[in-house]
Amino acid sequence: MRVLVIEDDPDLLDQLTTALTDAGYTVDGAADGEEGHFLGDTEPYDAVILDLGLPVIDGLSVLKKWRSDGRTMPVLILTARDRWREKVEGIDAGADDYVAKPFQMEEVLARLRALIRRAAGHASPELTCGPVAVGTRSGRVTVDGKPIKLTAQEFKVLSYLIHHLDKVVSRTELTEHIYDQDFDRDSNTIEVFVGRLRKKLGVDVIKTERGLGYRMSPPGDAA
Amino acid sequence: MRPNSLSFRLVVGAGVSVAVALIVAAVLLTILFRNHVEDNLDARLASYLDSLITVTAIDSSGVPVPASELTEPLFERPLSGWYWQISAIDGSIEPERSRSLWDSALWLEVAVSSTENTFFNMDGPEGQPLRAVARQITLPDGDTPFVFAVTADRDDIVKATRPFTFTLIMSLVVLGVVLVVAVFVQVRFGLGPLRHLQQALAAIRTGRAERLEGRFPAEVEPLAHELNALIDHNEKVVDRARTHVGNLAHALKTPLTVLTNEADRQEGPFAETVARQSSAMARQVDHYLARARMAARARALGARTDVVPIIADLVRTLTKIHAERGLEIASEIPDLAFRGQPEDLEDMVGNLLDNACKWARSRTRIAAAAEGERIVLTVEDDGPGLRPHEREAALKRGERLDESTPGSGLGLAIVADVAALYGGEITLDDSEWGGLKARLSLPRAD
Repeated sequence: MRVLVIEDDPDLLDQLTTALTDAGYTVDGAADGEEGHFLGDTEPYDAVILDLGLPVIDGLSVLKKWRSDGRTMPVLILTARDRWREKVEGIDAGADDYVAKPFQMEEVLARLRALIRRAAGHASPELTCGPVAVGTRSGRVTVDGKPIKLTAQEFKVLSYLIHHLDKVVSRTELTEHIYDQDFDRDSNTIEVFVGRLRKKLGVDVIKTERGLGYRMSPPGDAA
Repeated sequence: MRPNSLSFRLVVGAGVSVAVALIVAAVLLTILFRNHVEDNLDARLASYLDSLITVTAIDSSGVPVPASELTEPLFERPLSGWYWQISAIDGSIEPERSRSLWDSALWLEVAVSSTENTFFNMDGPEGQPLRAVARQITLPDGDTPFVFAVTADRDDIVKATRPFTFTLIMSLVVLGVVLVVAVFVQVRFGLGPLRHLQQALAAIRTGRAERLEGRFPAEVEPLAHELNALIDHNEKVVDRARTHVGNLAHALKTPLTVLTNEADRQEGPFAETVARQSSAMARQVDHYLARARMAARARALGARTDVVPIIADLVRTLTKIHAERGLEIASEIPDLAFRGQPEDLEDMVGNLLDNACKWARSRTRIAAAAEGERIVLTVEDDGPGLRPHEREAALKRGERLDESTPGSGLGLAIVADVAALYGGEITLDDSEWGGLKARLSLPRAD
């Protein structure tokens, strides 16, 4: 899952990036509205954390531009203003949720998880595909109830695929949502991760759609 | 009426000038009347003198004798002051006299003209002040010139003028009093706008009005205008200060977030101190933000806010925020208006509804109704509800019932504070669905 964080305070940006990376997200950061808007406009993100008080272009304008250009990724706004008027304006501008400063990191993570899940159409915090279960809150992966240890990259691949259950995900899409913008992307490494993942899970849940990409579905479920 | 007042100055000034004018008028009128009375007396004396001369003839002994008495009985009454006398210029004969002179004679000390009447004042017998007229006449049958004189009592002038003077002074005193009362009334009436201005300012100070309202007379209008400009300027300065407080408070929130989270990630006493102190700072920031907002409200009690659009905004916002839980937020809001600021209604209802959404299992409901001069808003949910002792704690500032549910924990306490500011109140009760039912009573606008 790839997340864009737009926050002008470098320390807070750093903290958010660290916390999100620790939680298994791929994070891009932007320190002003202009750069943030550009990234959100050109890169595919699964969610955006947007501070409202930004230099160059304020957060609300960035959000409105995205929405009028048809960008639909879930957006969580951070605001120092705590009046309902600002919350109403933020939601009406196209935000999906808000967190008021000062906040605790867990709260941001919880809201973000809920937003991504909601965007993918899942109601439960635990995503399952046959015997495979991924706890979005805990980051735990189990097969038939037995925990499996995955590397960060493997978890990202599994998490993205299970969020898009039964949908074909191309290698490029997978690459874009797993690596941040500065990474030297090589879709061959994706094949390596998928191969390892299949071996660790030990069940046939990740299918290869020839020429298209991968699709995750319960084992025995023919394409 | 205090000595150092405009009314005092105006009334005293008018009083003094009225008094001076009336005294001058009294003196002048008295003099004029006295002159008139004297002229009358002189005319009467002259006509008696003419009569006396006409009736007088020289008798055989060469003495001038009036052929008949003058018709005026006063000439008969002894020492009446009304006398006539005919005397020879050389004193050759005993002067002929009116009976009233008894046995004394008039002692004429003035040079008497022979061509016209000579008027003068003199003293009569026993020092009587007299008005006299005399003429030197040579009668047709003689060659000796005689002095004919007629006198009247000068006291008659005083007697004639006294009632006039008395009436005049009484009239002028009454006139003076009436004028001073009129000035007093005029001053009260004329200075009325100043009193009105003072009341209007008092209304602003006590928060019953925002500006000087109403029409003022041309002289006071510029003053009212300047005062309004001053009030506006003052308001701007205060607003700017308040905005600075708000900006400062809001600007502090990002660093506080950073400090809190950094401290959370670290171990040891230093991190603990930082965490404790940053949460203390966060509380201070919230406290002073709330104070600044309350100060702003104190001035703006005249505002009117339609309830329907505010609640529609909040329901839309909260439905989206809680979208993944599929909550039902039912609202039944008639067309009502709240007497207060829209942001305050939004904060109160927003906090209540947000709280209901956080705890609800599947549904919440907001309703509004008019009850006399008040609006009663009820917000309920089908969540776990609160026990009676928890309800009391929930309305107290700083109490947080459940640390695990996200939110400042001040939600209901803020509602209670803001409602109290508007003279409203919040009560917590059980919902028929088993959850919490909050009842918020606020002043209603027409």
